[in-house]
Amino acid sequence: MERQMPPWNASVLGAITDAGLAMMASGAEVSRVEDTVERLARAYGIETIDVVALPTALFVSTPEGTLLRRIRRRSVNLAAMAAINQLSRDVAAEPIGVEEFHEKLAQASTLAPYGPGKSLIFAAGAAGLISQLMGGHLVDILPAAVSGVFTQLVRQRLRTTTIPGSLGDLLAAIVAVFPALAAAQDPIFQPGSILVGGIMILAPGLLLTTAVRDGIAGDLLSAAGRLLEAILVGAAVAAGASLPLYAYLALGGRWP
Amino acid sequence: MIRSSLFAGLTTVAFGYLYQLAGVNLWIAGAIGALAWAGASVIGTLTGAGLLSNFLGALIVGVLAEMAAVRKRQPVTLFMVPAIISFVPGYLVYQSMVAFLKGQSADGIRIGFTALFAAGALSLGLALATAVFRPMLRRWLAPRKPPAT
Repeated sequence: MERQMPPWNASVLGAITDAGLAMMASGAEVSRVEDTVERLARAYGIETIDVVALPTALFVSTPEGTLLRRIRRRSVNLAAMAAINQLSRDVAAEPIGVEEFHEKLAQASTLAPYGPGKSLIFAAGAAGLISQLMGGHLVDILPAAVSGVFTQLVRQRLRTTTIPGSLGDLLAAIVAVFPALAAAQDPIFQPGSILVGGIMILAPGLLLTTAVRDGIAGDLLSAAGRLLEAILVGAAVAAGASLPLYAYLALGGRWP
Repeated sequence: MIRSSLFAGLTTVAFGYLYQLAGVNLWIAGAIGALAWAGASVIGTLTGAGLLSNFLGALIVGVLAEMAAVRKRQPVTLFMVPAIISFVPGYLVYQSMVAFLKGQSADGIRIGFTALFAAGALSLGLALATAVFRPMLRRWLAPRKPPAT
């Protein structure tokens, strides 16, 4: 039996562009986004298509029309990335109705297996554990975990506001320092490891990884943009952590 | 070394949770993080200090992540991002920052550049895994197609 192609219409273009947009926003590489959009387009019977994906915008052009989308919010959501990847594979193998695709896409791109409360616990664990790799002793796990919770809490609160991402990171880094300052009063703690444990929650690991992969694939604009964003985030975090520490040292506080 | 590798694996899992990674992929990422840390520590103790262990750690993360991605038919990033976090030179950046705050600019610059080169070594390791090993792995490990009849 010959496979029935769904009739082409403008909403198909919208749907596949949305898929690319969601992948880009969850942190996927340019080559993967472009490849996915092209694969989806072929599945829906669009043979000629040009896709340009940038970290801040997505362009999809077909003979019937061109669609341009601005990408504003970017976050790390590996679950969404995996789900959209799977969805696009499934759809490329067996096209479904556009309405249904849109529904499943919306479901996949907002996928979050863990809520904000659980994320706080994971942030505590992550900060506590990584302090052990940054020269900390076992006694530092608890204050580092507290620092991680503070950092994640501030970041979660600020994500829903209009405060730009790097400023949010700066504020979160400020808060991360306080448990380390408290621990610095007792010489059994390593305040440095506690501080680093807290701010590693903010480390731009995905940006750095994706920048490298984009660079290798020849997507230079995206590689440069993501590298710049990683540097900006790193600078914001360093600046945020420096502020309270600078004031503390200027006041003559104890710091090893 | 075994203890810190275990911590590296657990750290990877914790960051995987934080990045919303779920299921078996999470545990694969954790194993990659632990193995890469163990490999990097062995090289680090054999060759002394330096950036070679950072580079090799990232290379191991990259190659194992590429293998896992082909096998599980998932984006490589899923395994790479949580596993590389343990290697991010956060402590060096911190030390550089404190040196500047204490007015020891020469130390600050020296340590800051070391951190920058460490990040460069990580990027190089990941890049090499993607550029060189990926095409080879794709050929060896691609899921077996059913034999043509």
